[in-house]
Formats: sequence, C-alpha cells, structure tokens
Amino acid sequence: MNKTININLAGIIFHLDEGAYESFRDYLNQVKNALESQEGGAEIIADIEARIAELFSMRMQEFKREAVTIEDVNFIQATLGAPQDFEDDSDEAPHTSAGIPAGKKRLFRNTDESIIGGVASGIAAYFGTDVVWIRIIFLVLLFFTGIGFITYLILWMAIPEAKTTAQKLQMRGEPVNLSNIERSVKEELDGVKERFGRFREENQGTGQSLRKTINRGLNIIINILEWLFRLVFKFFGLLFILVCLVIGFTLFVALFGVIASTWNFGGIDFISIDGNILGLNAAEAILGSGIELTLMRIGTLLTLLFPILGLTTLLAKAFKRPLANGRLVNIVGGTSFFIGLALLLYAGGNVLSSFKVSTTEMRTVELQGNTFDMRAELLEESDGFLFEIDDDNLRIENVKLDIKKSFDPSASLAMKHRARGSSNSDARKRAMQFDYPFEQVGPVMSLSEYFTVPEEALYRGQELQVTLYLPIGSEVYLDPSVENLLYGIENAHNMWDGEMIGHTWKMERRGLVCMDCEEIDYFESEAVEAQIEALELEIKKLKEN
Amino acid sequence: MKIDNTKAQMRKGILEYCILGILDSSDAYASDIIDQLKEAKLIVVEGTLYPLLTRLKNAGLLEYRWEESSSGPPRKYYSLSDSGRAFQKELKMTWEELQSAVTILTTRPNQS
Repeated sequence: MNKTININLAGIIFHLDEGAYESFRDYLNQVKNALESQEGGAEIIADIEARIAELFSMRMQEFKREAVTIEDVNFIQATLGAPQDFEDDSDEAPHTSAGIPAGKKRLFRNTDESIIGGVASGIAAYFGTDVVWIRIIFLVLLFFTGIGFITYLILWMAIPEAKTTAQKLQMRGEPVNLSNIERSVKEELDGVKERFGRFREENQGTGQSLRKTINRGLNIIINILEWLFRLVFKFFGLLFILVCLVIGFTLFVALFGVIASTWNFGGIDFISIDGNILGLNAAEAILGSGIELTLMRIGTLLTLLFPILGLTTLLAKAFKRPLANGRLVNIVGGTSFFIGLALLLYAGGNVLSSFKVSTTEMRTVELQGNTFDMRAELLEESDGFLFEIDDDNLRIENVKLDIKKSFDPSASLAMKHRARGSSNSDARKRAMQFDYPFEQVGPVMSLSEYFTVPEEALYRGQELQVTLYLPIGSEVYLDPSVENLLYGIENAHNMWDGEMIGHTWKMERRGLVCMDCEEIDYFESEAVEAQIEALELEIKKLKEN
Repeated sequence: MKIDNTKAQMRKGILEYCILGILDSSDAYASDIIDQLKEAKLIVVEGTLYPLLTRLKNAGLLEYRWEESSSGPPRKYYSLSDSGRAFQKELKMTWEELQSAVTILTTRPNQS
C-alpha cells in the first residue's frame, strides 16, 4: 500500500506515490532554480512542465497505471537531463552561478548543529569560525555578567532559522547555485535514504501483517519519544545553562570562603568590610595555623574537586567534546570527595573536642569615689566583628557589662573570664590569658569593647563579663559609647539596655533609678517587688553578720 | 582542457542551426524536434532544448501556435518566421563555408 499525492502539471492531475512525489519535487525545484534567473525562465518552466505532463500521460497509458511511480520520475530525469543541462550557457553573457552571488552571507540560526536554538552555530557559520569559540564567549558573558543569557534570547528570537537549502548555503556564504544546492540536497537525501533503507531492512522478513502493524506502531512511538526527548533535552539545555550560572557563582564564593563557611560557630560574620575576605579571620582564630587549618583546607578542596570535575565533564559534553575518560573522572572525583570529607570530619572533630570543658576566672578591682561616668573609648573602635587578628594577638569582641548593687561601702569592678578547652587545666590557662585594659580618671571609667588573648590561645569560647558593683547612693552616667556592652541591666523602671544610655542612674534600695529620664515607664508593682527583694537581701545579710 | 567540454561546445554551436534546419523543412512541435535531434545523436537529454527554443522564439526567429494533443496538454507547434528564414539561410552559407574550410584544413596533412 502506498500513499499518493496529487499534483497539477500543465492543467492535468497526476497521482504520485509518496516517494515519487518527493523525488520529483526535488528535481523540479532544482530545475526551477536553474531556470528562474534566465530570461524567459517562467515560459521555459511552463514548457518543461507541459512536456513532463505529456511524458507522464504517455507512460500511464502505456503501462495502464493510475499512479506515477519512482520509475516514471527516474525516466523523466533521464529524458530531460540533469538540472545543470537546463542552463543555457550559449548566452552572450554566461551566468557563472544562478541566484544570489557568492560571498553575500546572511545570518541564520543553524538548527542542524544546535544545543539550544542554533544561535551560536549560526554565528560561527557567519564568521567562518569554529562554533566552540562562540559558545565559550556566550558562556563567559553568561558567568560574568549575565548579559550572555539575555543576548542569547534576543538573538534566538531575532535571527531566522535556516530552513531551506538555499538559506543553509547562504548561511555559510556559499554561492546559491545549482551545483551547490544539488550537493547540499544530495547530502540531506542520502541521510534520509540511509535511514529509510535501514527501516525497510528491519521490517523485511517479518511477513505477517500483524507484526508489521506492531512494528509500525512501535516506530511511531519511538519517533514520538525521540521528539519528546529532543524537546526535553533542549529544555534542559537551557536549564543547564541557568544552573551553571548559579553553581559557577556559588563555587566562586565558596572557594574564597572555603574553610570558614563550613564552620559557622555562633553567628560569626564572614564578610568583612575592610579587605578581610569572607571570614578568613574566623578560620585562623578558631583553627590557628596548625595542622587543623591545613587539614581543613585540603579537605575542602578535595571535597570540591568532585563537583568541579563533574561540571567540567558536563560542559565538555555540552560542547560535544567529551573528555577522554569519564569513568576516570568519576573515580578520581569520588575518591577525593570521600578523602576530603574524612579530613574535614577528623579536623572538625579535633577542633570540637577542644571546646569540651568550660571554666571561669574572677578578678575584682576596687574603685575610688561614688560617682561614675562609664565610657568604652579606651582602645580604638572595633569594627563589630567577633574576631580580629592584631599583630600576635587575637581580639575578641565578646564583652558584656552589667551593673549590680554592692553590699560593700565602696564600688568595685568585677571581671569574670570565661574560656573553654580540651581539659580543665587547658581551659583555666586560657581564662587567665585575658588582657582587658581599663582606666579610672576621676569619675571617668574608661573601658574597651574587646579584650585580647595571645594568638596561639585561639578562640575557645572566650567571653568577658564585667560587672560594676555600686553601693547604695552612688551614681553612674552611661555614655552612648557603652551601648554595645550593656547586657540585661536590671533597673527599677524595667527599661531596655538601649534606653538606658545617655542617662544618669542612681543606685537605690530598689535598684537603679533614672535621675534625668523625662518619661519613665514606671510600673508600681514591679518597683515594689524590687524594693521587697532588696529589703529581704539586706535582712539576710544582717542576719549573717 | 576536457574533451567532453569541447565536444559539448561544438555541439551547442551548431544546435541552433540544426533546429532552424529542421523547422525549415516542416513545422514541428518540441517533441518532434527532440526526437530528430536525438536520432541524429546531437543531443542526449531534452532539457537542453527548451531554453534554446524559448531564446530563439524571443529573438523573433521562431513563431508558434497551440495545437490540441491526444496524449496530454496542448502542444506548441513551432515554425520559422520570415527573419528566421533569412537567419537560417545565412547560417547555411556560413556552415557550408566552415565545412569546406574544416575539410580542407583537416585533410591537408594527409596530402603532405
């Protein structure tokens, strides 16, 4: 059974077998291409069509057939000759090529060799370069500016697809003449023929019509699946480029913040403003410059190697330049991934174990006078990050200031050093290494916002709790500079730390009372409660004495 | 230089003269002319002829009329116009001159 297609030649209808039709159409198109540019071309074409109609009719009568077959088309070709025979080169000014002259290139999308829309290969054809370079340019633009993506989309929409053979030739800048078209078409046809032949071979010998039907059905399904896969592949191609963009950026960041980003203790800030990139300070403060740091660095790099290699392989595939050995990449990448992970876990475990024990160390200094002006301007201002490495010292900005009632007649400043370590003695040694300078000049108490420890002590949860003990009746002014230090100071008005600065406070029995606040959120019951509590404490103390 | 190319050039040069010669004896439609030319082995494929006929017609050397056909579309019957006849006579003279010239030139080496 053959499908037929009806055509009208010089006013006569012919039924052509599907295969015959395709062959005939290609032939006639080539002939038309050869003749169109000649003087009186349309008339010649009409004459030729009439002649073909005559020959077809003769053969139909002769062989008593209704449909034109491929043999008839072949006969026509043999009788009329190859398309180039139609060129009338006895003309005074002979044509070297029909149609568009050589060298006039036009930009088309080359969908025959496309990954997404054939934009890159079209451009490559236009400039006569290898498509890989265009793709690399697009990817570079994509990674570093994102412009590549938008440019691609615009070009995709703007550039027409090279559909016809003539357009494909123009895309490469080859002259659109008969022999080139023929060559190009022939190449295309050969591909079709080959596929068709294979299909027929596969279907030969099955014999039974049922199996043939099944085969045909399967073939249709396979065709549909193939088409779907192509669609999905293109979609993923686009998605892949987007993912590359994200992964590329992440890797870029990760490589710089490699170590610190894997160890985020208690909300450490990783991005420093003044040149210290992404928490390298934190890494040094926690890991020191010893074996752990090295292990961690190697570990992170080894762990990252796998995704980087994988990405490279995928990119290579995208460019249709597969790397030599995909399995080797997998083995090397996978092994390095696990070694890296093991190193990270080992070093991480070591570091964690040195945080095991916590101890505190107290230091108390008696202060003169009973009026104080608390400031935090003794040392240069810190930048608000937890760690800073300064010469051979590690600055730790973890100071808390509290104000409490003193039961002694004089005021005092108590400093509680807290530190962690792998053992009790390790932690104690660390707790004794705090260096926290302060100064009293008249009523002015100058504190600083951070303390320092020797660099080799490393960060092991060090924390400084400073408490100002005030006897009843003494006064304290809280300068705005201490704002960062205040931490949950109890007062008679239940005011927040931030609200307390800039005011003078008097220590009374019921706690700290604001001397110059304009509007005080005064809660009677709480104030009374505080008073009772204070009285009880006093009684207790009297009893002990 | 390819021999085929030279042969084709020689054939093409005298093709116009031959077509005019055929039509000088009687009117004919394209297939008739083709058949005669094929028989004489002057052309191999028909494609060559159609552009040539159209060109001669456009040059005013040929005329044609439509005639019904039993086996296909109407056919073009070609005949020589007056100027075609004059053209053919001139070509005939030239051809005879050429023929004798060629004969003299190509046979002389045998004599010497």
